[in-house]
Amino acid sequence: MGLAVDIVKREGRRQNEGFNEQKLHASIVAACLSVRTPVGQAESIAKSVTETVMQWLEDKQEITSGDIRTIAAKHLHTHHPDAAYLYKQYKITM
Amino acid sequence: MDILSSLLVVAFAGLIHASFQLSTSVLTTLSGHAIGSKKSHARTLRLTSSFVFGAGLMTLLIVTFVAYVISQAFGTSVPLYVWSIAAGLLFGIGVAVWLFYYRKGEGTTLWIPRSLASYLNDRTKATKLSGESFGLGLVSVLSELIFIIGPIIIAALVVVQLPSQWQLIGVAIYTLISLLSLGIVWALVGSGHSLSRVQKWREANKGFLQFAAGSGLLVLGFYVYVAQVIAASVGGI
Repeated sequence: MGLAVDIVKREGRRQNEGFNEQKLHASIVAACLSVRTPVGQAESIAKSVTETVMQWLEDKQEITSGDIRTIAAKHLHTHHPDAAYLYKQYKITM
Repeated sequence: MDILSSLLVVAFAGLIHASFQLSTSVLTTLSGHAIGSKKSHARTLRLTSSFVFGAGLMTLLIVTFVAYVISQAFGTSVPLYVWSIAAGLLFGIGVAVWLFYYRKGEGTTLWIPRSLASYLNDRTKATKLSGESFGLGLVSVLSELIFIIGPIIIAALVVVQLPSQWQLIGVAIYTLISLLSLGIVWALVGSGHSLSRVQKWREANKGFLQFAAGSGLLVLGFYVYVAQVIAASVGGI
């Protein structure tokens, strides 16, 4: 069950949507696996980062998808700097 | 131009082509999505190999098409004004590469419109089959045509003047060398290197790559102008 936070999509081009914890978790796992992190460690890092982001979201009503990415990358950096780097590179590689 | 000089010019044009980064960016992103979505190593290699094969085939098709058009229009003797136009084109593209190739800011964002970048990004993420990956390779080369057309035209102009048995070799040399950067990324990913190291290197050296690509075009344009236009004019006086 997600938090009651509205996520404003990039440049407002798509409809707002609710925060999806699974989606964030999966994207963190993917970033960790991309830098050859073992699956178990990737899952554990993703769980920790997702929980931290959810705590940060508790007093928010509306944020952008970019805000979530920035906060998640910041916390991911403390666990795995390489994964955080690739996570931030999403949409700025080409 | 003798055969060796011609092949060296073709090889240099291929090297300039290899320094353009759109296909490399797409391949890096594709590799990241493939590894990140828990695909097996063999499957990741199949996807990336299909992409490189698609990019190579499209390059081969474009070079042969341009060479065919040139040979139909001028035969094996290309007029001086065509060489002059080609040299001018290289100068123009070279300056454009210096000025516009990479966008300012973090990452390796390229000159391409953001809507196209977003489309390529989404397509790359959605690519799960080798056939789709092959198609992505074809499209990525076409998307960068505005920049790669310069070296391709020079390679084609040189190739049509070669004896027929050397023409195939010329086209093959161009295609293989143009795939150099893709081949390096493919090999690094295949041998288990971290993608973040590849991308960090690309980001740290993007200024150099931009300068090298632009300068390469200017040098090639200057050489073509001197060797084909001025030399012929002076020889004709």
